[in-house]
Amino acid sequence: MAEKKRRERPAFNTDIAAAIGKHYKDVQANKPMAYALMSPNPLVEVAYAAGIQPAFPENYACTCAARHVSGGYCETAEAYNYAPDVCSYCRNHLGYIYGSGESPPMGGIGEPDLLLLTSCACTHYFKWWDALHEIYGKPLIFVNTPRVMEPQSEPVFYMGYAMREIEQAIADINKVMGVKITNDKLSQAVRLSGEVVDYWQKILELNKAVPCPMDLTDLSNALFVLIVLVGTQEGVDLMKKVYDETKQRVAEGKGVLSKEEEKHRLLWINIPFWYKLGMFGRFEDRGCVFPFSDYTQYIWGTTRMDSSKPIESLARKALEGELNTSVDNQIDKLLKDIKEYRVDGVIAHSNRSCRILSVGVLDAVRIIRETLDIPTLVLDCDHTDERVYSDADIMNRIDGFLEMLG
Amino acid sequence: MPSALEQMSSSVSNAASVLQETERKTGRKMIGFFHPVVPEELIYAAGLHPVRLFPYFDDLITVGDSYLQTYLCSYLRADWDQIIKGRYPYLSGAIIPRSCEAVTFLYQTWKRHNPYQFVDYINVPWKRTENAISFFAKELGRVKKDIEKFAGKEISEDSLRNAIKVYNRNRELLKEVYDLRKAELPPISGVETHNVVMSSFILDKEEHNELLEQLLTELPRRPRHPKADVRLLISGGCVIDTRLWEMIESTGAVIVADDTNNGSRSFWHLVEDTTEDSLKALARGYVMVPCAFNTSIEDRFKYISEMISEYKVNGVIFAINKNCESEKFVYPELNKKVKDKMNVPTLNIETDYLIDMAPLRTRVEAFVETLRA
Repeated sequence: MAEKKRRERPAFNTDIAAAIGKHYKDVQANKPMAYALMSPNPLVEVAYAAGIQPAFPENYACTCAARHVSGGYCETAEAYNYAPDVCSYCRNHLGYIYGSGESPPMGGIGEPDLLLLTSCACTHYFKWWDALHEIYGKPLIFVNTPRVMEPQSEPVFYMGYAMREIEQAIADINKVMGVKITNDKLSQAVRLSGEVVDYWQKILELNKAVPCPMDLTDLSNALFVLIVLVGTQEGVDLMKKVYDETKQRVAEGKGVLSKEEEKHRLLWINIPFWYKLGMFGRFEDRGCVFPFSDYTQYIWGTTRMDSSKPIESLARKALEGELNTSVDNQIDKLLKDIKEYRVDGVIAHSNRSCRILSVGVLDAVRIIRETLDIPTLVLDCDHTDERVYSDADIMNRIDGFLEMLG
Repeated sequence: MPSALEQMSSSVSNAASVLQETERKTGRKMIGFFHPVVPEELIYAAGLHPVRLFPYFDDLITVGDSYLQTYLCSYLRADWDQIIKGRYPYLSGAIIPRSCEAVTFLYQTWKRHNPYQFVDYINVPWKRTENAISFFAKELGRVKKDIEKFAGKEISEDSLRNAIKVYNRNRELLKEVYDLRKAELPPISGVETHNVVMSSFILDKEEHNELLEQLLTELPRRPRHPKADVRLLISGGCVIDTRLWEMIESTGAVIVADDTNNGSRSFWHLVEDTTEDSLKALARGYVMVPCAFNTSIEDRFKYISEMISEYKVNGVIFAINKNCESEKFVYPELNKKVKDKMNVPTLNIETDYLIDMAPLRTRVEAFVETLRA
């Protein structure tokens, strides 16, 4: 399947690219700077309220992968004993730290003054940040929250624990960084975060339209705002732009493909191959769009924020995201959204580096296939370590799948 | 009468028949669990029999891989493979803790495919603060209610206190056995000690306590092993393949200590018998269990470095299972500290379910030779 030039993208992608560039400049210039996890991390809003610049090593791994330097960074980390079975986001970052330091993409993400950790996602986050704590010797602030396996019957004390953990984290940040996070500043950050979430939810709703106004690459780009800029006015302004343009596109019947061209609407499960985003252009050439993905839909921007209850809102954010709940919960949502987004085929990335999103993939596709009688394909690969990717194998399987779709 | 060691080793090599016979004789339902962070006392106090779930090392994974990808822990995949093949007919359910992603997912798979009557999930905190301990006590209270419902009986404060007493006795006795290995001529080998601890996950704890008391009277009368010129510590997660322990000691080295889920981590910290309620006491004791997923590198190093000093260890072997992400992640920084701060040489070997020991043997032999030199 030949890769053709991609179609014209929504204009907001240019604004987001500019915001990404500015973010990396801010990371290099602003002090104090903290490494924060991308997971629905309640400490991002807290950092902005404290005047601390957050930086995101996972997001940086995506950037490095898109620039095709992740394989080298992973190799460096492996030379420092981080085995290939450790997540490639982490190996990318550790390779960046231990590597030669020559011309890192976007100028790099510097050395942190603080480490902001939460447990509302993968197990190895704790291991990663703990290793960074050993390497940099900088204070580690850790919000430990329980995994909510049965969201419908979540014990009341889970919320209490998460709230106390966030309160303690705020007290610790004030102490170690010599800052004062006031209630007003925290409420403001939570209010701004809530506005971003509100726009995002409307955007996801708009993407149900036929033709689909945004593809997975557009949605993935917009995630940057939802992860990195939550709690800032800049984030609100940018997400409003995404919303306004998407609304306009829907009103004009403008899609990634035209109504006539859009033959299939597919679901992508798990994180895309960041070093191979161009592959979605190939799908478009075959009349396929991806109106949603579990990765863009269920992890961030799922919690409505209430600025009058900032701690409770942040605790809810930590507890509610897909990474902190169960595969059953995810499958229920997928079954519902597949119908609502009129999806007629599923491609699932069994991602050896993201176990939390991959452990349920085999069950999920089996249940989707049996319940909805739509074709599914599972691809075994890695989100960042390009060395694992085999173009011939992956494209061969995708071609077979598309032929079956017709 | 067979020696205590013979009885314990026999229970490990015949675990399936021992457990089936125990179930038949006592009528007690058996509840499986993973990792030493699950407070067994809750199961025991309900009149149930706790069993640590490990795979039998005699069966290729044939069905499990359609549920769990091959890049996940092979021991867990083998466990699930054998569960759905009906290799654990004595089980009535399981309690699964929040540890790695694969174990957490197993809870969900277990619930969906429901091979047994009961399954529960415990949120184990990854901190040791008072806030985390209070949370854990409440979580244990929730699980206690679930167990009571399944067992059809209330777990009284008295029965829980008694369970803590029985388990603490087991911890003390195991530690006494470990203490004997500090000697210049350890009276018990690493393989034998491995069987002693593994049998504690199979046998009734009171029965195991009696065997340990018998063992502690038998060991001093035993002919001493030859001088241990190479004294090793094994560190890893689940180092459960007996062949690996045998292979290492076949080089002439003696394993005098371990930092494993199926070894010292299982019993090192007592549940302090205080006046506070039993659930809080259990929470306080179990947050100290130093597994890789819940423990910082600093705390792991403290644990391992104290052992290196007390047991006069002159070499550390990290034996980490393929795809054990938590252990693999901790290894680089922990290894650096062991080498730099303790000045002890280390070797890193990767294990796997049903792995061929020959290539590992070559590396272990070379390592032991360098330690002798």
